[in-house]
Amino acid sequence: MAHQAHAYHMVDPSPWPLTGAIAALLMTSGLAIWFHFHSTTLMTLGLILLLLTMYQWWRDIIREGTFQGHHTPPVQKGLRYGMILFITSEVFFFLGFFWAFYHSSLAPTPELGGCWPPTGITPLDPFEVPLLNTAVLLASGVTVTWAHHSIMEGERKQAIQSLALTILLGLYFTALQAMEYYEAPFTIADGVYGSTFFVATGFHGLHVIIGSSFLAVCLLRQIQYHFTSEHHFGFEAAAWYWHFVDVVWLFLYVSIYWWGS
Amino acid sequence: MKRAAAVAHAQCFGIPTDDEQATGLEKIVLEASKKGTDPYNILKPKEYAGSKQDPHIVPSITTKRIVGCVCEEDNTAVVWFWLHQGEAQRCPSCGAYYKLVPHELPH
Repeated sequence: MAHQAHAYHMVDPSPWPLTGAIAALLMTSGLAIWFHFHSTTLMTLGLILLLLTMYQWWRDIIREGTFQGHHTPPVQKGLRYGMILFITSEVFFFLGFFWAFYHSSLAPTPELGGCWPPTGITPLDPFEVPLLNTAVLLASGVTVTWAHHSIMEGERKQAIQSLALTILLGLYFTALQAMEYYEAPFTIADGVYGSTFFVATGFHGLHVIIGSSFLAVCLLRQIQYHFTSEHHFGFEAAAWYWHFVDVVWLFLYVSIYWWGS
Repeated sequence: MKRAAAVAHAQCFGIPTDDEQATGLEKIVLEASKKGTDPYNILKPKEYAGSKQDPHIVPSITTKRIVGCVCEEDNTAVVWFWLHQGEAQRCPSCGAYYKLVPHELPH
């Protein structure tokens, strides 16, 4: 071990922050190039670099924590703070879109017909697929909690099964929502209703995909014996994120699908 | 007793415990905490009276360490001085006693 009198982790120099920054540059400028010159090359390059950065950076963190033992209790505490702060920032991100929705829907303008939903919009029935989606995500919250308790109690088979079930439910939600998007009688271009609906639910769907991916990585790690019954913060972080995604959906469902219909 | 049962249960059903799988610094910290030691200063330092009979114990991996004395609570001026091994030294401001004590790093 390094000659240090503290339990913190002095990380080795790494190229991934730089490649991540370059990826951000290429994706943003690539977006502009796509808009103006119809070429997606630069943006695609940025996206590939982003994926490579994420893969290698997080792989290195797993190496440092699980295989090299750098994640002592104080280090783990810092990681917990980090994840909580990140999720908090995402809460504020969604708060903005809820603000936009309520701004437009609480005082509908004459252009909309002075009513919400606006004239000409047939909203989705909240008691059909959206209600099923709510049940699916709530169930996935139960299964992920089941997975957590299985890990803590040393039950390998149950941990793998409940975690896999959680991911399947997440994929089911995504599939149902994709079908809803395809079948919806309105589009993102249909005034402020369409904008608020698809931007808010669209970003939520993206977060479901991100959360499912995070859980899938945890499933692979669990199968490969990375987690111990006491130390499995990667899984806890994924579970926190998943609960956050679930809560956002509940707010979306009540506000946009139900009240807004 | 409950902990031993939990460990045995975990070992039976396929998920390793920290005892089995911890490595590197995490393992060193775990082993030390089981023995009741704190080689990496994770825990809050013990409180001492600071008197001649009960001086503040200052662990050091070398023969001297900087001490910052906040003589009275909420003081904004910290009194800094080098503490050398040997006899206990006194804070030049409030007179509290400080004693340097060797601290072993486990490597």
